[in-house]
Amino acid sequence: MSRQHTFDRSRPPAAMPPKDFRFPEFVRETLPNGMEVYAAPASSVPLVNLEIVMPAGCMFEGLEQPGLASLHGELLDEGTRHHSAIEIASTVERLGGALDTGAGWNVAYAEAELLSRDLDAVLALLGEVVLEPEFPDEEIERLRKSRLADLLRRRDSPMALAEKTLFDALYRGTVYGRPQSGTVEGVEKLTREDFLAFYRRQVIPNGSRLVAVGDFATDDLLRRAEGALGGWQPGPAVEMPRLEIDHLPRTQVYLVDRPGKQTQLLLGHKGVARNHPDFQRLILLNSIFGGKFTSRINLNLRERHGFTYSVQSYFGFRLGPGPFQIRTAVANDVAGAAVRELVFELRRIREDLVTEEELADSQRYLVGVFPYTLQTISDALQRLKSVAIFGLGDDYYETYPRLLLDIDRQTLLEMARKHLHPDRLAVVAVGPAEELRPQLEGFGPVQVIPWKGIS
Amino acid sequence: MLRPLFSSEAGSSEAASRPPNALVSRFDQLEFERHALDNGLQIVLYHDARLPLVAINLWYHVGSKNEAPGRTGFAHLFEHLLFQGSENVGTNDHFRYVQQAGGIANGSTWFDRTNYFEVLPSSHLELGLWLESDRMGHFLPSITQEKLDNQREVVINERRQKIDNQPYGLAFERQHEILHAPDHPYRWPVIGYLDDLEQANLDDVRSFFHRFYAPNNAVLTVAGDFDRSQVLDQVAKYFGDIPPTEPVERPFVPPRPTPHPGGRATLGDNVRLPRIYMSFKGPACGTPEWYAADLLSTALSEGKSSVMYEDLVYRRQLAQDLSCYILPLEETGTFGFVSTAKPGVDILELEKALVEHLDRLVAETLSDERVEQGRSVVLASHYGDLQTLEKRADYLSMGATFFDDPGRMFDKGRYCREIGAEDIRELVRGYFRPEERVVVNVVPHDQVDRVQESPAP
Repeated sequence: MSRQHTFDRSRPPAAMPPKDFRFPEFVRETLPNGMEVYAAPASSVPLVNLEIVMPAGCMFEGLEQPGLASLHGELLDEGTRHHSAIEIASTVERLGGALDTGAGWNVAYAEAELLSRDLDAVLALLGEVVLEPEFPDEEIERLRKSRLADLLRRRDSPMALAEKTLFDALYRGTVYGRPQSGTVEGVEKLTREDFLAFYRRQVIPNGSRLVAVGDFATDDLLRRAEGALGGWQPGPAVEMPRLEIDHLPRTQVYLVDRPGKQTQLLLGHKGVARNHPDFQRLILLNSIFGGKFTSRINLNLRERHGFTYSVQSYFGFRLGPGPFQIRTAVANDVAGAAVRELVFELRRIREDLVTEEELADSQRYLVGVFPYTLQTISDALQRLKSVAIFGLGDDYYETYPRLLLDIDRQTLLEMARKHLHPDRLAVVAVGPAEELRPQLEGFGPVQVIPWKGIS
Repeated sequence: MLRPLFSSEAGSSEAASRPPNALVSRFDQLEFERHALDNGLQIVLYHDARLPLVAINLWYHVGSKNEAPGRTGFAHLFEHLLFQGSENVGTNDHFRYVQQAGGIANGSTWFDRTNYFEVLPSSHLELGLWLESDRMGHFLPSITQEKLDNQREVVINERRQKIDNQPYGLAFERQHEILHAPDHPYRWPVIGYLDDLEQANLDDVRSFFHRFYAPNNAVLTVAGDFDRSQVLDQVAKYFGDIPPTEPVERPFVPPRPTPHPGGRATLGDNVRLPRIYMSFKGPACGTPEWYAADLLSTALSEGKSSVMYEDLVYRRQLAQDLSCYILPLEETGTFGFVSTAKPGVDILELEKALVEHLDRLVAETLSDERVEQGRSVVLASHYGDLQTLEKRADYLSMGATFFDDPGRMFDKGRYCREIGAEDIRELVRGYFRPEERVVVNVVPHDQVDRVQESPAP
């Protein structure tokens, strides 16, 4: 084929008029026992994803039993009144599906990916692991052993060491102050009675949600969900734990002394809960600061200085005030310079308005990629789950693009001043202390933590 | 938004429109068109307007296997440079243009190829074509020593972050150094060795570009929501005037079955739990044997009730984890096992247990039920992966590049349905030969001497 055109290559081509995109339609129904069902039919592939979320996340486990919620979550599918752990797994896996249970900070979950032809069988099994788990002693011992090995292994990973140190620095004395996987001492002490008591208290239909996306007819799905989960008996409503947390009085440096040619950096401070009214504005602010490739900190640290392969910042999605974090890994000899640039950028975005171009670019980016982030049934399920867990409102994603476009520069400056705290940071560095200490002393008091001593 | 109940029934869900229990999908047969420009650029068009998105996916048939020992890592470093602007696109503007249009962009380098892709709102198709054509046809005027030095530092940091400063990070490249002879083009890591990266200079950049970055060494796939009557003209407008190069000579890759010796190594690392990396040369990507290997690796290690996972992790609790993989390589693959020992379990004991499993596979192959389970898991995950437009676009480019057939990777369902226990037996007997086994054990420093001096189990 030979078609030659002459045109001006020096300028980017103009865009065509944009096309409409709407968040997938879904229904929300409440079963008589109080459980809500969110269902979005999508027939593009012969697959269904299901997830039940329950108010049994790690934030609910209390201070005395670190590791309780995450182990409890993992134990749900390790044997029921009717089936052993391996029977449950092989039933689903023979059908080409997967079933998994566990817990994060906010909720415990029981999830399944399946072929739509197998909806009945898998939904029944999912109901069984939530309604009738047995917590068999031998499975408790097996998972305890496995968890203790994981806790041991986490000490090898620079990122895991940094996270543990940061959470401890920001949230000591609260459930957010330790890893979700708990502590060696906590995990060693847990008994079957502890899991049963936690189960009875937390795993109730009022406060739980089933989210379903995939190749089904909605009325049919709702009927089957009622069949599998309608017999689940409600209990006293679960109360949200109160997390009273202050910011650090001033920036502090935590140096985990580990040999190596690279330093893992993790900077952070207390942030806000996902359902805070400012959160959507913070998503936009963070996009400009550290949430995409063309963010200020990536252009600075990677593209201008070549300090790192990647640097990103996040506000955590938690029911309580989770951390704002900046993560990067740099050569040891530029660790101090990298922290200086990060603190500089935090100060700069609190001092001056972002440019018109930065605002417009980030708005267009976040609105434009929205359909891209909703291509799969799993994508849609994650979004619906956010609506369900954080109570964002059924129209949240319908109005999300409009609300993003309404935010102005002055609002972002106010957000930065209110929610970013460059002088009250925990600066965590995992690397050789001798080389790092002189570079980091200027940022605040330095506490050196021996690598082998972290448990 | 809360909609009235039952409002959204399409009436023709995929479940309703096919026979019960058939594991098939509309992705088994994709409708696409093939074209070529006079300069040799191959074009694949695949129309799907269900979302207002368009994916641009460009494969250059050059990867780390086109490098030479002593100059490794260059294909990947070059990929980084291609994001540093071109004659009409400023230094950081590639990502800026894409992101301000509401799109995503990235690239990746593999042993056999380098790919570049954008997914954009469909209204911005021409932006993507302009960006990709500018760097294919007008890249060299923009390159500077400063950009090369900057991206060299970025890549060195990438290597440290993913390999040198990661627990067990060096095992994979050590494994390939044993698996392949010194001049074998799959021997060195895609990211390259540090010393080699230090040597890359601007002359390398220029000659690499001239040799490999040309329309006649590339496949361009445009997938998604585009105007069928205009898209070819649009592609020709941006890419038509880029001159071709001399035909690219493909590196020689010794084919299997070439008997090759196995081997073993013990690496000391800052780790608490020892881990074994066991591997064999495997079949090439997209061959019937490769699909059998894919099914086998799934049946052995995917899910709690898979053969080896159930035995070693769940029942006997010798291993903390276990995974099994087959690398998708154009010429000859790598089939491997990775497993971490439980505290208190000797790595050689775990190695012995793995070997016993392999011996049993040779003697007994897999049961029909195990083959069936593996097949279901493989296909469900295949159809799940194909939900994204960029995955389908990438498969079209891959099929065109490796097989001269854009639809080839979508035949996975057909291949998988034909695999039986006998195929698995033949695969295992042909490839899992004890004398060709490669083992890399990564252990705490204080165990190196003991493990190194112990005989292989």
